[in-house]
Amino acid sequence: MNEKRKSGLAANPFLKSLGTQQAIIVGVIIVLFIFFSLASVSFRKYTTVVTLCNYMYYILLMAIGVTFPLLTGGVDLSIGTGLICYAIVGSYVISNGHMPVGVGMLVVMIMSLIIGFINGIIIAKLDLPPFITTLCTMMIVRGLGSILTGGLSGVWPMAGSAGGWCRSIFKITVGKTIIPIGIIWMLILIAIMSIILRKTKIGRYILAIGSNKEALRLSGVNVVKWQVIAYIISGFFAGLAAIAYACTFSNITPGTGAGLELDAIGGAIIGGTSMTGGSGSIVGTLLGVLVISLLKTGLPYIGLQANWQQIITGLVLLAAITADMAKRKKAA
Amino acid sequence: MNKFKNLPVVRAIGFNRVVLIGVILLMYLVFALLTPVLHSGATFLKYDRILSALNYAYFIGFLGLGVTFVIATGGIDFSIGPVMFTAALVSGYCLTQYHVPLWLCLILSIVIGVLFGIINGYFVAYRFLPSFITSLACMQIAKGVGSVFTKTQSVTWPTEGNENAWFHYLVRWGDVPVGFILLCLVAAICAVVLNKTKAGRYILCIGSNKEAVRLSGVNTKKWEMLAYIICGLLAGVAAIFYVGAYTTVQPGLGDTFNNEAIAACVMGGTSMAGGLASMLGTVIGALIIALMQEGILAMGFTISYQYVITGIIVLIAVTADTLSRKRKN
Amino acid sequence: MGDVILTMKGIDKRFPGVQALSGVNLEIRKGEVLALMGENGAGKSTLMKVLTGIYKKDAGTITYEGREVEYNNPREAQEDGIVIVHQELNMMGHLTVAQNIFIGREPKNGFLIDDAKMNSDTRKLFQQLNIDINPKETMSKLTVGKQQMCEIAKAISHKAKVIIFDEPSAALTESEIEQLFKIIRNLRDQQLGIVYISHRMDEIKKITDRVTVMRDGCYVGTLITKDCTKDDIINMMVGRVIYETPKTESHVPPDAPVVLKVEHLNAGRMVQDVSFELHKGEILGFSGLMGAGRTEMARALFGADPKDSGDIYIKGEKVEIHTPEDAVRHGIGYLSEDRKRFGIVLKKSITENATLTCLPRYCKGVFIDKNKEKQVTKQYVDTLRIKTPGIDQLVMNLSGGNQQKVVIEKWLIGDSDILIFDEPTRGIDVGAKQEIYELMNRLVDEGKSIIMISSEMAEITRMSDRIIVMCEGRITGELDIKETSQEQIMHYATLRAGGSDNE
Repeated sequence: MNEKRKSGLAANPFLKSLGTQQAIIVGVIIVLFIFFSLASVSFRKYTTVVTLCNYMYYILLMAIGVTFPLLTGGVDLSIGTGLICYAIVGSYVISNGHMPVGVGMLVVMIMSLIIGFINGIIIAKLDLPPFITTLCTMMIVRGLGSILTGGLSGVWPMAGSAGGWCRSIFKITVGKTIIPIGIIWMLILIAIMSIILRKTKIGRYILAIGSNKEALRLSGVNVVKWQVIAYIISGFFAGLAAIAYACTFSNITPGTGAGLELDAIGGAIIGGTSMTGGSGSIVGTLLGVLVISLLKTGLPYIGLQANWQQIITGLVLLAAITADMAKRKKAA
Repeated sequence: MNKFKNLPVVRAIGFNRVVLIGVILLMYLVFALLTPVLHSGATFLKYDRILSALNYAYFIGFLGLGVTFVIATGGIDFSIGPVMFTAALVSGYCLTQYHVPLWLCLILSIVIGVLFGIINGYFVAYRFLPSFITSLACMQIAKGVGSVFTKTQSVTWPTEGNENAWFHYLVRWGDVPVGFILLCLVAAICAVVLNKTKAGRYILCIGSNKEAVRLSGVNTKKWEMLAYIICGLLAGVAAIFYVGAYTTVQPGLGDTFNNEAIAACVMGGTSMAGGLASMLGTVIGALIIALMQEGILAMGFTISYQYVITGIIVLIAVTADTLSRKRKN
Repeated sequence: MGDVILTMKGIDKRFPGVQALSGVNLEIRKGEVLALMGENGAGKSTLMKVLTGIYKKDAGTITYEGREVEYNNPREAQEDGIVIVHQELNMMGHLTVAQNIFIGREPKNGFLIDDAKMNSDTRKLFQQLNIDINPKETMSKLTVGKQQMCEIAKAISHKAKVIIFDEPSAALTESEIEQLFKIIRNLRDQQLGIVYISHRMDEIKKITDRVTVMRDGCYVGTLITKDCTKDDIINMMVGRVIYETPKTESHVPPDAPVVLKVEHLNAGRMVQDVSFELHKGEILGFSGLMGAGRTEMARALFGADPKDSGDIYIKGEKVEIHTPEDAVRHGIGYLSEDRKRFGIVLKKSITENATLTCLPRYCKGVFIDKNKEKQVTKQYVDTLRIKTPGIDQLVMNLSGGNQQKVVIEKWLIGDSDILIFDEPTRGIDVGAKQEIYELMNRLVDEGKSIIMISSEMAEITRMSDRIIVMCEGRITGELDIKETSQEQIMHYATLRAGGSDNE
C-alpha cells in the first residue's frame, strides 16, 4: 500500500524532476501552511503573503548567492553582517550624501562585489579555510558599517518621498491591495541562476570544484579563477539582498545582521545543497528558503516570538545537516 | 637574535610568546602616548585602566582556553560567546527571580555551558557534522534559549556590597586582581591536561590525524566530544567572571566574543588546522585583545574598530599559519 | 617504426631530501608503443609528470617535434598534443560521463554549454573505441573499470600525438584489458607515440615494441621487446638487489592452530560473503586487481568500516568487532596501504605514535608516564633498527621505510598477534623493502600471524604461505604456495561472478 503510493508519487513528472528531498520539502511547506492556517485565524489573510514575501526576498537572495560557495565545498558567513553593512552605507550615501537612490544602490553593489572578491581571493589563492576567512570578513564588515556611518541607524527613502520609487520595486499598491511584485524578480533571478548553474562554464566548473578540485586542476582548468567567481556571486547576491532589505524594511541598525547568514545557509542546505559540495540546485534553495521564511512568518501567529525563531532555526539547521551527512555517508 | 632564541627562558615560553609579550608592552606604550593626544584630558596611565582591561581579559581568557581544546582537535566552536551569555542569563534569572542560592546558580551556569558542549560535541563527534556549522546552529539556539528564559529582559546580578554578591571577589578583591590569579591557575591546569594527560595526547593527535588515531584503536569520538565539553564548561566559568566584572547581561548577544576568543587562540600560536596548541599563548592573546579594546575606547574610538581589527588579526594569524605549514610540506 | 617525436635528455628532479630523477633519457617514436618499466618508486610516474608539466624539472631538455619545450601545467602539454592517463582516477563523481570528458573545453552555443553536442560527441567517441557506456550516466555510478575507460577516452579525445598510459590495467579485468590493447594498437597504427607504464611482464611482451627501464630514479637502458626475455628486463629493473625466488612451500606446520576465522563477511558492494582462516605463524597473501575489495575486507574485519553481516572467531572464540577499538582489544593490528593518511600522525614524535594503541598502559592515573613511554619506544626503535636521530623526532622527517617501521612498532608495542599488512612496501625504496620482508618473516617465526594484501605479484609469491585471490568483492580462489603460478593468480583475479567476461 505504502509502496504503491510512493511509486505513484514518484511517477509524477514534476516531483520526479525535483528529486526525493525536494519532494519532501514541498510536503513540509504544505503541512506548515495548513498547520499555521488551522492554528491562527489571522494567518489566513492576504497580508500574511505580503509579510512572507518581505522575509523571503532578502533570505532568498542571500541563499541563491551562498549556494555557489557551498557547491564548491566552501561557505560564506559574511553575507549576513554584509547585508546590513551595505544597506546602511547605502542609506548614508542617499540621506547624508544627498545622492539619488540609484547611486546608493550602485555603492551597495560595488561594496558587495569587493567583499566577495576579497573572500574569494584569500580562499582560492592563499588556501585558507573558507569558514574562518569569511568569519573574519564578517567581523570586518560588521565594524565597517558603523565606522563609515558614524554608528547611526539609517533608512532608505519611504514611498511617496523623493527617491521613494525604490519601495515599489518589490511591492506596489493597487487600490488598497499591496501586490508583492518582487516575486516576479525572484522568479526571473532563479531562472537565470539555474541556467548559469546548469548550462554555463561558471556552474559546471563550480560544481566540479566541489566534486574533485584536483581532477579539475589536472584537466587544465584555472581553479582559482572559478573559485573566486563563486564568492563574487555570493557577494553580489548579498548586495542584492541588501537592496531588497532596505527597500522592504524601514530601520537598519548598524552592527547587526549576525545570524541572517544562517537563515540563508540553512535554506540552501534544506533545499538539498550539500555541505561537502558538488551537488545542489537553485530551485531546491528556493524551497528551503520558503520553509525558513514560512517559519519566520508563521511562528509569531502561534505566539512564538523572534527568540523562539532563533531556537527553531538552529534546530532545523542541525536537522538538515545531519540528514545531509547521513545521505552522503549512505552514498559513499 | 639566535642567541636570544636559545636562552632557556625564551625556549621554555616559546619565541612567539615572547614576541607577543613584547607586543603587549609596545601596545601599552602606544596607548599611553596617544590617548592624551586623541582624547584630550584622558590618560591611559592609571591602575584602573589595567584593572578594567583585565576584567575583559578574564572572560575572553576562559573562553579562549576552552576553545583552544576544540581547535586542537581541528574543530571550531562559534557558540561560546552566546553560550556564556545564556549561562549568565539563565542562572542570573534564577538568582534574582526565583531566589535560588548563589552557589547553586554558579554551578548552574557551568552546567549550562557543559550542556551546550555536549550538544556540539555529540553532533560533531558522533554525527560527523562540520563543527563550524554545528556550533553556529548551537549559537542560534543558545541565543534563543537565553531570550526565551528571561522573556527578553536583561538580567542584573547583585552589585557589590549587596547580599549574594561575594562572586565579585572572584574577579577583584579591593585592588587585588583575583581573577588574574584564577585565570593563570586554570590556564596552568589546562596546560597540564593538554600536555601531560591521556586526554590531551589524544586530543592533539586527533587534531593532527584523526583517522590514524581511530585506526590505532582509540575511541576518537569520546575524546573529541570531551574537547567540546571542556570548552562548554569553561564558557560556563567565563559567564561567572563576566557577571563578576560587568554585573548586567543582555539576551541575544555574545557572538562578537567568539571571534575575540578565537583571535586570542590563533595569536597565541594554536593552529587552526589542529594538533598544535598553547594555553600560555591563549592567555597572552586574551591580554592583547583586552588591552586593545581598552586602548580603543580610551582613545575615543567606538567598539566597531575592535571588530575590524580582530577580523584582520585572525586573518593574518591564520594566513601565517597556513603559509608556514605549506612551506614545511 | 617511425621517426622520433619526443626526446627527454638528462632529466633531473629533486624533492626535499630525495633525488627523484637523475639524468634520465627517454625517446618516443611515432607508431610504436614504448614500455616504461621499473620497480615502485623507480621514478616512472615522476618522469611522466615532468613531461606533462605537473612537476618542473631541475635540469635536462625535452625536445618535441624538433623544438625544445617546457610546459608549466598539464593544459599546455595537452594543447601541444601530449596527454596522460593517470594511475589514480581523476574523476568528478557528481558530473556525467560526457561532462567529465569535455571538462575544460566544453562546446558552446553562445553563452551556454551545448550539452546535446557534448553527449553526441561522446557517443561517437565511444563507438569509435567500442566502449559501451551511457554518456549521460553520473560518473560515480560506474564501476572502477568503466571509469578507467572513460579516462582513456578523455585522453584520446584530445587529438593527441603522444599518449602516456600510467598503469592503466591495474583496475581492469581481462576482457577490459583486451579491449584496451585493441585501442592501443589502433592508436599506434594511426602513427601516435605511446608510452605504456606497467608492472606486468606478460602485458609488456604482448603490446610494446621497445622497453626503457628505470631504477632508483636513473635511466638503465632500452631494449627491443621481441629480442629480449623477461629475465633480461627483470635483471635491468632490480640491478644490484638479488631478486629472491618465490617461496616453494609453506613454512606453517600442518597442525598450526587457527587464530582467526572469518565467516560470511559482507560489507557493502566491495565485500561479499568472504570466509577464510588464518593459522598461527602464517603469512596469508591476498591478491587481486585494484578495487577487488581486499582493503575493504580488511577494514571491515578491523571494524574501521561498518559490516553488514558475518562472524569473526579469534582462537576459536566468537568475537564482536564493531570499531577498531574492539579489534585492538582482540589483538588485531592494521597497517594501512595509505600510511600518511591512516597509519601515522605525521606531525607528532615517534614516541607519541608508538604508544598510541595502548596509551592507558603507559599512564599513572590520568597522567602519562613519560619515562616508561620513552623506554619502551627506545627499545623497539633499536630492535626494529629505525634510523632516526632520536625518539623525539617528528615522524614526518623520517623516510618511507622508517615510517612504516614506526607503524609496525606501534602494533608490536600494542601486543597485536594478528597483523594485517595492506601493501606493506608501497612507496618504500628497494633496500628498506628487504628489511620489511625480513621483519615480517621474523614476526611469524615469533608466533605472530600475518594477513598481507599486495598488488605486487612478486611480493605475493615470495612472502605468502597461502594465497587468497579476490575479484569484485568475492574470494575467487585459494592457492597453496606449492602449486601457484602468477598466471594462475591472474586467472582468479579476473574471474568475474558468472564468468561472463571470460568467454
